[in-house]
Amino acid sequence: MKRSLVACIVLFLAGSMRLPSRGGQETTALYEQPLLITSAGQNAEVQIAAVLAKRAGLNYTLSKLATGQDLENMKTLVLVMGASLKGLGAAGLDIDKERDRVTALVAEARKRNLRLLCLHLGGESRRGQQTDELISEFLPLAKLVIVVKSGNNDGIFTRICREKNIPLIEVEKTVEALTPFQKAFK
Amino acid sequence: MSRNKKNVAALTAVFSSWIFASLFLLSSCRSQEIPGAAPPADRHAPYDYVGRRAMVVAAHPLAVEAGLRMLKSGGNAVDAAIATALALNAAEPFASGIGGGGFMVIYLAGEKRSTVINYREKAPQAARPLMFKEKGEAENEWRTSSGLAAAVPGALAGWNLALSKYGTRSFAEAAARAIEIAEQGFAVSKTFSEIDKEEYERLIKNAGEGTCYLKDGLPYEPGETFRNPDLARTLGLIASKGVDEFYRGGLAGKIVAAVTAKQGIMTFDDLASYKAVEVKPLTGTYKDFTIVTVPPPASGGLHLLQLLNIVENWPVRRWGQNSPAYIHHLSEAFRFIFADRERYLGDPDYADIPVPRLLDKDYAKEVASRIAPDRPLGSYLYGIFENKRAKSSNTTHLCVIDKEGNAVALTQSLNDFFGSGIVPEGAGFLLNDHMDDFSADPQSLNAPGPGRRPVSSMAPLIIFKKGRPFLVLGSPGGPRIFPSLAEIILNVTEFGMSLDEAIEAPRFFSSSSEGKPGPVIVESRISQAAVEGLRKMGHEVEIKLAYDKFFGGAQGIMVVRGKNIILGGADSRRDGAGAGD
Repeated sequence: MKRSLVACIVLFLAGSMRLPSRGGQETTALYEQPLLITSAGQNAEVQIAAVLAKRAGLNYTLSKLATGQDLENMKTLVLVMGASLKGLGAAGLDIDKERDRVTALVAEARKRNLRLLCLHLGGESRRGQQTDELISEFLPLAKLVIVVKSGNNDGIFTRICREKNIPLIEVEKTVEALTPFQKAFK
Repeated sequence: MSRNKKNVAALTAVFSSWIFASLFLLSSCRSQEIPGAAPPADRHAPYDYVGRRAMVVAAHPLAVEAGLRMLKSGGNAVDAAIATALALNAAEPFASGIGGGGFMVIYLAGEKRSTVINYREKAPQAARPLMFKEKGEAENEWRTSSGLAAAVPGALAGWNLALSKYGTRSFAEAAARAIEIAEQGFAVSKTFSEIDKEEYERLIKNAGEGTCYLKDGLPYEPGETFRNPDLARTLGLIASKGVDEFYRGGLAGKIVAAVTAKQGIMTFDDLASYKAVEVKPLTGTYKDFTIVTVPPPASGGLHLLQLLNIVENWPVRRWGQNSPAYIHHLSEAFRFIFADRERYLGDPDYADIPVPRLLDKDYAKEVASRIAPDRPLGSYLYGIFENKRAKSSNTTHLCVIDKEGNAVALTQSLNDFFGSGIVPEGAGFLLNDHMDDFSADPQSLNAPGPGRRPVSSMAPLIIFKKGRPFLVLGSPGGPRIFPSLAEIILNVTEFGMSLDEAIEAPRFFSSSSEGKPGPVIVESRISQAAVEGLRKMGHEVEIKLAYDKFFGGAQGIMVVRGKNIILGGADSRRDGAGAGD
């Protein structure tokens, strides 16, 4: 009896310590509008994020090559994570230049006390060495992370969010990101 | 009596061994795969489709089914190849279709000869060398996702030429299954979904949120049903009215209107004057094998032959497959070949391409001798041929072999996935963005010009052993096509792999631009030791996914004469499938 009770407590504690998503943290009304959407890695999903923002009725601006100046009058920076060789090529950037752009942008956002929201909408195929480097660098600065689940198969988002105490929302399909994205804003 | 017993015992032993060997062989193959059968648990696990008389391999199971159905109804390899190509328009619409173009190699067993149909797209008459350069920073967008990106499509003209000259069936018969697939729809694969997401911006921009290529304005997720009734109607119209409906009829008007609305220059006359052409194949050798492929403006076949000529000078078997020495030497060879490509390739109707010099075995030997064994050279000069100076990615591949031994290797494309993203109103098909294959340099032999065909990387091919087809092969993948095909061929001929093992094996790629090397790009399954070895030599190494679409999606057929079987290999980097009869 005693043993079962201990087992139940251990299971309960283990369950409550698991932090794949939210884990009791606040995930709604965290951010203010207007928001600037850009990618970290020139991926195609940045356009999907813009369409989701439009459908959510958010006051947003999309800029694929955003710089610090684009943060004027903004209240939130949304980074859509994922490196695309094709996107980088089309933008005339390599991954180092892109990292420099995003680093400067995020630094300016912090200077202006803007909150950072990170999205990863490309799933498993939008992972890889370059994407993982961007995730490691910028994800720890976010106040909320929303990801399409297959992109987190190896738990990279779970691990970083747990370490940095950042709420993480996983969705099965891209379209399901709409609701948490909308609710994240005041 | 005892002697008889011994004979019976011996015969029994031989028979048992034969049965055992056959079972073993068949157990290592996916026997008589029919589309719709449960796929293996690990789609990347190498397996060969098996046939006795015929085989179809293509980038989608429904297209394979269309080809096999044609063969079973008595059609020949050409009929089946066109039925498969049409079905791909419905089932893999992002990679090829009637809005694009390509090349096919046909082997006619009865005549023991090969021929090539060139149905590569052509630039409109108003095209000029500076047409993209003058767009400045927006050049790339104009080249790939505007009306200017669309070249005059060649697919229907090419398929029609092949059917009328070498087929036995009508266009309507070849299109029947494609129309059904477009009408009934199918469950979207992971590959389709990923590509739909990747090309979302282009689709939103040119096809709009209401296009059938998006579901409620967002990319399809795996498992959702994709239908294209507009394409079904378009193919039905062409089936009843003929291919002229596309080039001179109502569809031509819709194409011109769609292109013009996106600032393009294609005219009704451009469409009406388009012709596919039959040309002599390009032939080369690798050791005891004869390789028959497509000539320029397709560059892939030429470069593949160049590469194999260079490889003949190296002990690749001793180095080992995907060893640092192997990857290093081949990467350096790729870089020299890309320098030749930049310098010499163009439309042979308008430029003098030194094909015999580029394919000269002595030239290959000289390039091989320039490559250092332990470091990248860092600078890659094209070949200089005295008095012979020239005067001035995402595709699909299919292979068919029929019971008579006729074979077709067919590669075709829209260029980028989903092409330009432009869909003529209500027509359901995508227009290519193959104008992007013209060079950015207005001085290049491959600069855009009126009626020119842009240089292509395609390389459908048939390899012959002792005069008989041994391997039918090809791949999409843009500039990665010839390196990927070379790696597959070497995997089979030098490293003794089965066909699908060779296709699934990890790949690598490198190139050069203006003489400067690009990184060595490898799939993550290439060993860490090899990656470290390459980095120690001084290569920049970039690591891609374990099975990355970047490296194409090869399909192949191997004829195993001694065993009287035909094997099919289909690439799991996309949705490759096969079926034998």
